[in-house]
This record gives sequence, structure tokens and C-alpha cells, in this order.
Amino acid sequence: MHISDGILEPKWILLWYILTVIFIAEGLRVINKRIKIDPAYLPRISLIGAVVFVISVWHIPVPVTGSSSHPVGTPLAAIIIGPLASVVISGIALFLQAFIAHGGLTTIGANTFSMGIVGAFSGYFVFRLLKSYTSLWFSAGMAGLTGSIMTYIATALQLALSLNPDNVMYYWKLYSVGFIPTQLPLAFAEFALTGYVIRYLFELKTGIIETPQCPYSDNFTKKALIGMLFILSVITAGAYAGYLGGGDNTGIDEVIETLAAPDSVADGVGVKLMERFGEPVGFAFAGILGGLVTGYFWGGFTGQRRDN
Amino acid sequence: MLEWLEGDPLNGIAITITFFISLVIGRHFREKLNSQEETRGNIIDTRLKILLSFLLIISITLMKNWYIPAAVSFTGVFAAVGMRKLSTYSGKIILPLVLGLFILIIQALTNGTQTVTFGPLTFYSEGIEYGVLVFSRVVASASVLILLIITTRENELIESMQWFRAPPTLLQIMSFMVRYIKTFSHEGAILKQAQQSRCGFPNKSSFLQKIRNIAAVGGLLIMRAFLRGDDVYRAMISRGWKPDIKSGETTAPLNRKDLFTGIVLFSGIIALIGIDMVI
Repeated sequence: MHISDGILEPKWILLWYILTVIFIAEGLRVINKRIKIDPAYLPRISLIGAVVFVISVWHIPVPVTGSSSHPVGTPLAAIIIGPLASVVISGIALFLQAFIAHGGLTTIGANTFSMGIVGAFSGYFVFRLLKSYTSLWFSAGMAGLTGSIMTYIATALQLALSLNPDNVMYYWKLYSVGFIPTQLPLAFAEFALTGYVIRYLFELKTGIIETPQCPYSDNFTKKALIGMLFILSVITAGAYAGYLGGGDNTGIDEVIETLAAPDSVADGVGVKLMERFGEPVGFAFAGILGGLVTGYFWGGFTGQRRDN
Repeated sequence: MLEWLEGDPLNGIAITITFFISLVIGRHFREKLNSQEETRGNIIDTRLKILLSFLLIISITLMKNWYIPAAVSFTGVFAAVGMRKLSTYSGKIILPLVLGLFILIIQALTNGTQTVTFGPLTFYSEGIEYGVLVFSRVVASASVLILLIITTRENELIESMQWFRAPPTLLQIMSFMVRYIKTFSHEGAILKQAQQSRCGFPNKSSFLQKIRNIAAVGGLLIMRAFLRGDDVYRAMISRGWKPDIKSGETTAPLNRKDLFTGIVLFSGIIALIGIDMVI
């Protein structure tokens, strides 16, 4: 969702404009440099920008909600033309979208920052990070998912900073949670769309996507995703059943602490970090660490051998 | 009931003739007024319209009371009705309205200390006050933007960007994008229709299948954009284009009448801020 005019305070309008102008200036510098070497780059990048604009205003089905919505589109653009050029393209796209009353004139800076800069760069970095280790469609899909989620987290931050400067962290969480019912399913739709588009382009061998596909991880990725969805479903069903039974969803950590480790003193670094940034961050950290270690040694656990 | 027909038909004849002639004249006046209204948007220079709309929106965000933003919103509605663009106006204002309502609800439910109870729900009076203010600002700003959209053409916008010193590369990319967004939208719609007409792409397919179909059309469009980009480049070269070529076009300076109109409208915006401070 783009921020409309009339929401942000003038000082924030100015700040987001300044930050965006810096990135757009750098993007234009890169584009101009490229045009000097390859003049055909100008129409090519413009036409790609037009296509990404068209795709990003298509209605795609959103799972769970049963409705349809627009994808962000900038992670896809960043994979194809690079993140800095994507900032320029998304700045222009948002300017044009303001004139169909999507977003606003004074909020072009803020919207370009969340969608063009945060969305494109986060998606692009995730793609670069994953493409050597996982299949191409999964890397691209994760770029779409991350870019979409990061865009809305950035939008929530912009709203919180401008509307509730006295209690930013609380309202940042609140606006992020408020976006979840529509934006999280949309992020999964963006995962599928970005992944399929990139795979389609790669399979047709057009030369647009030249990244070599990781040959051994496609099946593994599918199994891991199915496992993730299965466990998420079990947790959600369990939590909902508990809630219907009169529970308050406060978790079982206190029960475990008192029964399994009654003498433990919780004052480690992890506990302090969780107190500072909230429990989900600590659990996410544990999940990342555990996942990386398990994934790294997976072949050793299952006895698989990879011949060179 | 119809005695006048027998007794005094002249009255009937007179009223019929005058009614229908007046009907024709009234219709003619309305058409004339409409044609004037169509060009009325162009009485103000596009560059001024953009600049003043931007300043008006900024001034609306500075306002501390909801009255003036509400008045601006109503003026926007009446202007849209006057221009016979109410359906366009109402279609475009939905998204800002949703976002404004979202903020109003969150503020009303969380922001403040004094509670107000409506049935099972408890709201905060400070939150309601602030939420209503933000909501009125959003609607007023959206109204200004929609009126700007209704009265301005795309090519005028791009031309006016040159006056705002937008970098030439940015303008070139923008003009290409504007030109090809319509082309690719049309091509995308044709590709989708072609896809749906084939047996492998039923409308009632699963979510993943639908996304896969959309992605195939998207991928195909990206490929076409790459190929067409090269064709466009060849066409540009054949017309003598070079990367370092400077555009010969210069934007005309604002004339005295434009400047006067701009100053008057800018004074109006300042007056609105002043009134808001006094209230």
C-alpha cells in the first residue's frame, strides 16, 4: 500500500525526498555510465521499466484472503536490471502512479524509499545471497517475498515516525501487524510470481537471466518448504484450538522453565537481547542459526554423498 | 382535468412551445458551459497547477484543525460534480479513504488516556481527535490530487518536468515508459486472452497454476521488451539520436498572467494556513 498525501508531516516528507534523491542521483549516474558504453541500454531499461510497471499493477490472486492485489514488482526489476536502476524506475513509476491516485505527490519520496530502495535492495541482496546455494526460482521467490515484506515494514515505520513520534517502536509493530492480514498473503503471492517469472526467463535461455542454476538443491528446497508449511499449520491449528479452549496464547516457556529447569537463572546475552528487541527476534535468530548449521551438515546426517 | 384543451388551447400551445424551445436553449447553454469547463483547467499553466497543488497539499498537512481540510474535500467533490467527473473522482478516492480509515481506527483504539465507550468497544478521545484530523487531511489532499489529475494530460506533465529541472535521462526514461506502458498493457491483455483461450489454462485453476500462468505472460512481456528495446534503439539511431544529444526544446517562461494567477492562488493557500492558525 502506498502512503497517500496528507499523512506524513512536512519534515518527514523532506527527509524521505532527500534520501530518495541521493539514491536516484546515484542510479542515474550508473545508467548514464552504461548508456555511454551501450546506447541501446536507454530504450531497453525504459521498456523493462514499463513492463515491470504493467506487471506490478496486474491483479494477482492472494491466498487465504480470497481477493486479489498488486505485487510490489521492485524485487523482480532489481534482479533483471539491478537495484540502483530499479530505484530510478520505481521513482518514475510512483510519479506516474500518483497521477492515477495511487500514492501521492508529496509522498513520492517516502514511497520510493520503501518500495524502490528498501524493496529492491533487500530483494536483490537475498537473491544474490541465495542463488549460489539454492535453486534459481527459490532465490528469486525469496527475493520477492523479502522485498514485499520489507516494503511494508518500511511503510509501517514511516507511518509510525510521522504519526506517533513519541512511541515509534510500539506503533511500528502495530502498523506492521495491521498490514499482515493483506500483505503477508500478498508476499507469498509475490514469492510465487517472482520465482516463476525468473525461472521462465531462465528456461527459455533468453540471456536475460544468466545465473547458473544450482543443480542439486531443487528437490531438497521443495521438501523443506513443505515441511515448513506443515509445521506452521500444526502450530497455527494448535494455537487456535488452545485459544478456543480458553487459553491466552502466552506460550509454554514459563511452564518449561519452572518444571524442567527450576534452578536456572535467565540472564544470558540471548535473554537480554530478547528483552531489548522482543522474543520473536531471539527465536528468529535461533531459527537462522539452527537452520544454517543443520543445512550445512545435512549430507552428513542423512549419509548422502555428493560426487564431484 | 383536460378542460383547458377545449376551453383555452392557446395556453397549452404557449406552454408547450416555450417549454421545448427553452429545453433546447438550456441544453445549448449546458454544452457551451461544458466546453468552457474543459478548457478551464488549461487556463492555469500546468507547471503552476503542479506547484500549487504540491504547496496546497503541504499546507493541508500542516493544519491543526479538520475544518479547512473538510472544506477543501467538499470543494473537491463539488468541483468533480461540476466537471461531471464524479465517478472518476469516487473511483480514485477509494484507496486514500481506506488508508485514512486504517489510521483513524488504529489511533482511536490505541492513542490517548481518556476513554470513550461505544457498546463493547473502548476508544480514546485523543486518538479519535487525531485520527479524524489525519483522515480529513488525507481526503482533502487526495481531492486536490484527483482534481489535478482530471485537469492535466500526461504529456503536459512530462513537459512541465523539464521546467522543474528534472535530469534529461530521467525524462527520456519517463517518456519511453509512458509510451510503452499502454502498449505493453494492451499486449499483456491480448497474451492473457490467448492463454485463456487454450485448453491448458482454465479460469478455475489452482492458486499456483494461476500464478504460473500470469508469470508466463509476464516473462513473455519482459522478453518482448528486450527485443523491442533493440528495435527502438535502431529506430532512434536511424533518426540521428546520440547519447550526448541535447534536446533543442526549451520550456517557455511563465507569462505575466500566469505569474499573477500563481501569486493570487499562493496567497489563498497562505490565507488558509492563517485561518487554520486563528481558529
